[in-house]
Amino acid sequence: MDLLKHLGFFKAVADVRHFGNAAADLGMTQPPLSQGIRRLERHLGVRLFDRDARGVRITAAGRRLLPAARDLLDAADDLVSTARDLALPEQVRLGIAADLEDGVPHLLRALTAEAQARTAPPPPTSSAEPVETSRAARTSVAPTVAGSVELVDLLRDGLLDVAVVRHPGVLDGLTAGPVLVVPTRLVQAPLVPADVRLPVAVPPRHHQPPAHDQLVDALRRAGHSGDVVEARDTAQRQALVAAGLAAGLLPAFPDASGTSGAAPNGPAGPPLRLRVALPLAAQRRPEIDHEAVAEAIRAALSPASDPAPDPTSDPARRPPRGDAG
Amino acid sequence: MSAHDPAVTAALRAVARDAGVTARIHATRLAGPPGTVALDDTEPVAIASLYKLPLALVWADLVTAGRLAADAPVRLPVSSRMPGPTGVAMLLDDVVLTARDVVRLMLAVSDNACGDALLALVGRERAHERLGELGLPATLVRQGSADETRALLRDTGTTTWAGAQRALADPDHAAETSQYDPALASAATAAELGQVLRLLWSCRGPAYDLVRDALAHQAWRHRVGSGFPHDDVVLHGKTGTLGRLRHEAAVVGFPHEHPVGVVVLTWAARPERHLPGVDAAVGELARLATGPLRMPDDEAG
Repeated sequence: MDLLKHLGFFKAVADVRHFGNAAADLGMTQPPLSQGIRRLERHLGVRLFDRDARGVRITAAGRRLLPAARDLLDAADDLVSTARDLALPEQVRLGIAADLEDGVPHLLRALTAEAQARTAPPPPTSSAEPVETSRAARTSVAPTVAGSVELVDLLRDGLLDVAVVRHPGVLDGLTAGPVLVVPTRLVQAPLVPADVRLPVAVPPRHHQPPAHDQLVDALRRAGHSGDVVEARDTAQRQALVAAGLAAGLLPAFPDASGTSGAAPNGPAGPPLRLRVALPLAAQRRPEIDHEAVAEAIRAALSPASDPAPDPTSDPARRPPRGDAG
Repeated sequence: MSAHDPAVTAALRAVARDAGVTARIHATRLAGPPGTVALDDTEPVAIASLYKLPLALVWADLVTAGRLAADAPVRLPVSSRMPGPTGVAMLLDDVVLTARDVVRLMLAVSDNACGDALLALVGRERAHERLGELGLPATLVRQGSADETRALLRDTGTTTWAGAQRALADPDHAAETSQYDPALASAATAAELGQVLRLLWSCRGPAYDLVRDALAHQAWRHRVGSGFPHDDVVLHGKTGTLGRLRHEAAVVGFPHEHPVGVVVLTWAARPERHLPGVDAAVGELARLATGPLRMPDDEAG
């Protein structure tokens, strides 16, 4: 018999103490579930449940066996998910700071486009290395959007390959490329008079305390009160702005043509500073080309990036300034 | 060494994270039963002007041994001085001081010219030899302030001290310098600097008295001092500051309690020169680390 499947039946009935409901949870009908439990009881040689007019009760033996059954099922789940990870070794686990606002889809589109561009056959004049191309061609991205402090912890624990984090922040045990400076616009809902300076909707301070404090100082330096409203996600921040309760601080990322065409209207705000952080060289997954991904992210986020990268001025060839240890 | 309380360590980490700093901390009771609070205190760190503290210890040691005279005149001609932000280093004319006044200015206002002069007097080799003998192998006075400034100018491509400070403080570039690297700059661990304080507080003699008194005259109370806003608490301290580095080694003296030495070494994620929040966090870290070590002394009551 399929022991794991039948232990799943056992766990489902033990969890809800009702055959009909357990069957519904499992997406099956009651008769095969009851038969399955009886088969398991025969196989194990013990009775797992008592059934009477008042319902289903787990037996003492069932209670003793339940933890081991749960452990086996959990271990099976772990095995399957580990196998799934191994089956996609070329998938880049990318962390994205929640501060990027509308820039998240932009960044992912740019990375996908970059991967596709590499898949295309190289022009005859170019001497692109075939190994590099085939590796990048298989690049797909598994994104995680979270606060920068959390992303740094995930990178350090080996659960991400690359992360775009807000700068400045503590990066102990990681390396990082140059600071990317993205201009921003302060926008208010049309119903708010222009001379009213609303507090600014920002991600929670704990996402990256030093960057948050730097932003507040910059707002005050510019004559703003420095009052902010901390809101946990982009939708919440957009809602506050739409309701006229807060000003939005929107990064103006270059659009597909490489210009800052998508820039929203409004006075300039303090720039959003970002860095691409990577694990230390010894802790990187060999199947990922970390530097190529980092370079693609930098190109997608840099306002100065060229629409059609000129190979003679490839920023990847330039030594990165300030590679922090 | 007392057992480390995980709750204290967690509280220290939380404050450091909130302030956006990496912190190395060592607090130790300087009298009475031994007791220590530590956070990553064996990690080597570039110490900036904190090199002046072990240097003062070695100087007091040599004076006590009769190998240097405390009142020897020291010439500080303007031609050989590297300009700096305070003390003789910011003066315009030639200066002559006694060695002990050099020590006082070096510790009280972190005078770079006096630090260089004292290092020349003691000698780098002699300083390292003595620090090794005192059980401080990781405390390395690799250079004085003039060499530190020269390295800063070179690393930042600037020509003046103020220009170098501006380059390090640029929020749009993560400027690097050899002076952040414990393998290249003067360096120590928080634990060894705690040991320096312990030696300074346990050794008897006029030269040690002089060093302790100079530390009591430190011109700043914005770091460790901000954690102890009490007029009756006596603070002896020495800061070390360079770019992202904000350090202090201090002794906190509550009335009728054993003095507690506390070393807080921080590296700030933010590059700006003026970060009162980080200075205040150093005070908060010092207060949290010192709290569990406070104990009435025997003469109390």
